[in-house]
Amino acid sequence: MIISSCYPSSSSFRKISSLAITILLSLLLCNGALAVPTFARQTGQSCLACHAGGQYPELTPYGRLFKLTGYTLGERPVIPLSVMGVASYTKTINADPSADFPKNAVALFQTGSVFLAGKISDNIGLFSQVTYDNYSQQNADTNEWVGHSHSDNFDLRYADRFIQPDNDVIVGLSLNNNPSVTDVWGTAPAWMQYVPTKFGYTGASAAPVVSQLGQQVAGLGAYVFWNKTIYAEMSLYQTAKNAFSFLKAGNDISNRLSGTSPYWRLALNKEWGPHNIMAGLFGMNANVYPDPTMASGPTTHYRDRGIDAQYQYLLDPDTVTLQFSYIKEDSSGGDIAGTASNSSNTLKQLKLKASYIYRAKYGASLGYLQTTGSSDSGLYPGLQDDGTGTGNMIPIPGSGSITNNPDTRAWIPELFWEPVQNARIGMQYYKFNRFNGAANNYDGAGRNARDNNTLFVYIWAAY
Amino acid sequence: MKLRSAHLTHSMLALVVLLAACTSPERSRSLLTTNVAASTIAMQLCSNCHGMKGISDSPNFPNLAAQPEAYLISQLQGFRGHTRSDKDGYDYMWGITANLNDEQIAGLARYYSEQAPASRKPGSDTKVSAGKVIYEQGIAAQSVPACISCHGEHAEGNQTFPRLAGQHSEYLKKQLTVFQLTNQRPDGAVMKAITHSLSPKDMENIADYLQSISP
Repeated sequence: MIISSCYPSSSSFRKISSLAITILLSLLLCNGALAVPTFARQTGQSCLACHAGGQYPELTPYGRLFKLTGYTLGERPVIPLSVMGVASYTKTINADPSADFPKNAVALFQTGSVFLAGKISDNIGLFSQVTYDNYSQQNADTNEWVGHSHSDNFDLRYADRFIQPDNDVIVGLSLNNNPSVTDVWGTAPAWMQYVPTKFGYTGASAAPVVSQLGQQVAGLGAYVFWNKTIYAEMSLYQTAKNAFSFLKAGNDISNRLSGTSPYWRLALNKEWGPHNIMAGLFGMNANVYPDPTMASGPTTHYRDRGIDAQYQYLLDPDTVTLQFSYIKEDSSGGDIAGTASNSSNTLKQLKLKASYIYRAKYGASLGYLQTTGSSDSGLYPGLQDDGTGTGNMIPIPGSGSITNNPDTRAWIPELFWEPVQNARIGMQYYKFNRFNGAANNYDGAGRNARDNNTLFVYIWAAY
Repeated sequence: MKLRSAHLTHSMLALVVLLAACTSPERSRSLLTTNVAASTIAMQLCSNCHGMKGISDSPNFPNLAAQPEAYLISQLQGFRGHTRSDKDGYDYMWGITANLNDEQIAGLARYYSEQAPASRKPGSDTKVSAGKVIYEQGIAAQSVPACISCHGEHAEGNQTFPRLAGQHSEYLKKQLTVFQLTNQRPDGAVMKAITHSLSPKDMENIADYLQSISP
């Protein structure tokens, strides 16, 4: 599944909101000890009760129970709102041609989010996010960037817990807009992420469809967590429409689903002493129309199967996390739908991450990303028409793959500091060993994978 | 198609209303409701960290099983009144206890005091032996009194003196450090003088010994 995302333009209050968020960030950094987002206000507890070493969004065993019981532990918040902002600086080592690397090496306010979240009743709770992207799209005529707000993750839950001294069963329902956003382990596709930047190269050109439907679909799922040992979930997704359009509001559809797509998840969990471990499986089947703007035509069938595992060691002052995720995607029918050259293709995505945090303040992590798959000139084109009308084909600088292959491999080291529990300053580096099929001259125009190496520095804060 | 969607929406709304109406105080996770029974609070809230029978998986959280009722009442009141202000108490317990009434606190204390104590976890012979000596005899040269005089022959606790037998050694070490270096547990002020001259090694030995015994 080729990644594609862009948001429709809209005029807006970019400068005012940018200023407001900047002031807010400044206030946060000054008064952080008083600042806790809405779930913490609801429970009266610190952020690190639920987030491992204060490393958002990764959850502790306690945080998992909070989420699985439907965000209902605590008091209904008086004002169920939180805000989050990311200011950042992204620099790709070789930003030539500069047109492909807008805002390279520029410090800027990138995104801001508002969360409506909290307990609604003893059994119903909500986590919902609206994000303002300050650099949503560039005006083709003026080259000016325009900001845009859009629906982000949404998870409305009903949950109940039948617990006796010898037995514990949590059951729940979730209405959400992202397959695996319901998950409580950090290796689920919706959560195994770094603080994102939209500039520079920070990943592969292709990713499994299960990770590419967020904020475009509406899904209803049911789950059970038995004795903190077995977790099972089954959800059904459709492209969000009609009454559920608010779940995709402000987002362009990049993958329009035909019919209903099932997502399932099974995980084994064990906690002992300061250790806990999870090993799981998940999968999704999806039929996707070739044109995301039209629900017609033959579809490409995707079959994603994933295996993941997470280990945590949580004992003050140390937090250690090891994460593993591997997804294999088989797709077929792309040749008939007109999106691929082959009748069937495979895509394999491996993600690894190890992190250590000391006193919930000083952290380091090392991630590894590897995306491989079958070669396909339709999915991963290497040549484009030179526009002269002669039919002459030339390489696609930067984003093309002269081998028609998605093979991308990158190491991602990170250092971060959390001066207060709701602010984080971090520095990531994306070191590419291969990109779009090769280490050297991957686009046929002379660009090497290492030219895409990208430095990303950010300030993240939430209140 | 629109009709189907409207039906679906109405059905979902009806489902949500129905589910909301199913709310039961026997399974409430509210921190405000004074009519929630202590046994419900113990299961729906406390068990998340302290286990369903007061024996916690993680040594970040103390075992509560078989603690003296009076000790549990004093600690819950201390968290509620913010007189106990060690970091973990602030991070986790202030919010949870904020709206507990005296009856709920008494009920929780009774529930945990009636549970069977945690089983022992053996430690290294050297540490356990050294810890046993300090527990039973103190360290005369450093004016450290014997722990046994307040916490009992089998470290089973007594009234406001907590049970220490079978407690997580990491938790015990952390609390000894809190007593020694801070005034965050004023109801245990007597421990400040007692722990004053304990070395980190002494604390480790005592903690490992206590974790290794069960009455």
